[in-house]
Amino acid sequence: MSHDNKTEQTVLVDELEGLKTDLLTLNMGPQHPATHGVLRIEIKTDSEIIASAKPYLGYLHRCMEKHSENLDYRGIIPFVDRMDYLAAMNQELGYCIAVEKMLNLEIPRRAEVIRVICAELGRIASHLMFFGTYLIDLGAFTPFLYAFNEREKILRLFEEVSGARLLYNYIWIGGVWNDFTSEHLTRVGEICDALHQQLSQYENLVTGNQIFLGRVSNVAVMNEELCYAYGATGPVLRGAGVKWDLRKNRPYSIYPELDFDIPVGKGEMGTLGDCYDRYYVRMMEMRESIKILRQCLDLIEEGPIMAKVPKVLKLPPGEIYHRTEAARGELGIHLISEGEKKPYRLKIKSPCFTHVSMLPAVAKGLMIADFVAAVGSIDIVLGEVDR
Amino acid sequence: MFDELLSDLKAKFPSVSIELDKREVGDSVLIVDAASLFEVSQYLKESTRWDFNVLQVITGHDLPPDFIAVTYILASYRQNSELLLRVKLGRQNPKVKSVVPLWPAANFQERECYDMLGVQFEGHPDLRRILCPEDWEGFPLRKDYKAAESYNGMEIYPQEKLNLADRQFGKKGQKSVEVTETVE
Repeated sequence: MSHDNKTEQTVLVDELEGLKTDLLTLNMGPQHPATHGVLRIEIKTDSEIIASAKPYLGYLHRCMEKHSENLDYRGIIPFVDRMDYLAAMNQELGYCIAVEKMLNLEIPRRAEVIRVICAELGRIASHLMFFGTYLIDLGAFTPFLYAFNEREKILRLFEEVSGARLLYNYIWIGGVWNDFTSEHLTRVGEICDALHQQLSQYENLVTGNQIFLGRVSNVAVMNEELCYAYGATGPVLRGAGVKWDLRKNRPYSIYPELDFDIPVGKGEMGTLGDCYDRYYVRMMEMRESIKILRQCLDLIEEGPIMAKVPKVLKLPPGEIYHRTEAARGELGIHLISEGEKKPYRLKIKSPCFTHVSMLPAVAKGLMIADFVAAVGSIDIVLGEVDR
Repeated sequence: MFDELLSDLKAKFPSVSIELDKREVGDSVLIVDAASLFEVSQYLKESTRWDFNVLQVITGHDLPPDFIAVTYILASYRQNSELLLRVKLGRQNPKVKSVVPLWPAANFQERECYDMLGVQFEGHPDLRRILCPEDWEGFPLRKDYKAAESYNGMEIYPQEKLNLADRQFGKKGQKSVEVTETVE
C-alpha cells in the first residue's frame, strides 16, 4: 500500500458517507491478542476501511488510586509495580523519587547507580517485549523468540537480585533493599555485550525488511502537533521528531553525569511520526541504554545501599508532581500529603492512558490490519491504562 | 517563575481572584476561580511567554465537607516548565467548563475525573464513565464513598471469600485469627 493509495481511500470514506451506506460495527477485543491486554475498541468500518474507532477502557481497573489512600508509603510500591508490569523497575523508581523529594532524602551513591542500572535494564526488557509482540502483530513470529531469549537473561538477573521475575518491590524509599554482588555486575556487562550483537542481528532481520517496511511506513502518522495536543510523551513524542527526554531535559538521579543521545524519528522510511519511527526510536533507545549501563558499571563504587529512613514514614504536608521517563513515556506521580502515614491522594499520570486517547484521532481511513499496527506501535500496557 | 506568573496573570485578569498556594516542600499551586478557569488556561496556552502547550493530566481530590479540588497540570515543552493550576468547586454540585477545545487530551482526563469524583465538565463532547462500568453507582474517590453491597446481583465481598487471617495480620492486640473452616 503506498501513501497515495491511502489518501484516496480516505476520500472514498467521505464520499460513501454521503451515499447512505451502512457502516459495519466491529469489536476489537477485549480478548484480542493484538490489544496487548484487555482493551476493547469499537470500530466502525466500511468494508476494510475504518471510519471511526472508540476505545473502551476499564477491564483491568483495580482501583489502585483508592487502595493507595489506605496504605502506608512503603506499602504502595508493590501496587505501583502492578501497573506497568513489563517495566516495573521504572515505575518503582518514579514513585520512590517523588516520595524522597518530599522527605528531602539523600540517597547513597551506590544505591543511585544500582537504581539506574535497574531502570535501564527494565527499559531494555520492555522494549524487547515491544519488539517481539509488535512483530507478532504484523505476522512475523520468529523475532518474538529472539527477543524473549535476551529478555529472559534480564529477568533471571532481576530474579536473583530481587526474588521476583516481574513484580520486584526492589527499589525502596531511601535506596534499594538488596545489593548487587560483583558477579551480578559482571552479568550486567555480559548482557550488554550479548544484546549489542543481537541488536544488529535484529536490525538485519527486521528493520530493513521490505515486508515489514510495507506494513509500518506511512501508517498512523502522529505528528508533533497531534502529540502536543494529546500530551503524548516518550517514544511516541520522540518518534514525531521532538528531541525531548526527561533524563536529559529535567534530569533526576545520576542521569546528568551520564553521556547518551536521544534518538528521534527522522521519517526515513515515509512520513515523520509513522509507526516505523516509533519502532526505530525504541530500537535505538536500547542501544543508548546499553551505553548508559556500561558507564554505570564504571561509576559504581562500594558503599551503603540504603539511606536512614524513619521507621514510621510520615511525609510533611504538601504536594508534589514529579515526572520520570519510564519505558513507555512520562510517568507522573502526583502525591498529596496531609502529614499522615498514608497519602491523602495519589494520582498516577500514566503515559499509556494518553496514548490510547490518541487512537481515535489516527484511526480514520486506516485499513483494519493497519490499525492493528497502529495499536501495537504505541506499546500500551493495559495495567497502566486502567490502573 | 511563580511570582512573575502571578503578577502577569493579575495584570491580565484584574477581576479574577488568583492566589498562589506556596508550600515549604514540594510544588506550589496556583488557585483560580472556577468561572474564569477557561480564560486563564487559554491565556496560559496561547501566550508566547508562558506557552503551556501540553496538558499533562487532570486530577481531582475530595476536600470534605465543602469542596472538590480539580488540578490541571500543565507543561511547556519549549520553556521546560510545569504548572499546577487548581480550581475549588462546591461539593454538592461540582461544575466547571471543559477545556477540551484547548487540549484534546482533556477528553479522557475529564472523563476519568467525572468517573472518580463526579465533577461535571460543561461542554465536554462525551462525558461518560471511563474506568468504572456505566451503571456503577457513586464516585469512588470521594472520601465518604462506600462500596455497594452488591452489583448486578453479584455480592461484593462475600463472607466466605474474605481472608480474615490476612486482614488481622500484624494488628495490635490481636493474635492471628485461627482458621477453623476446612477446605474441601
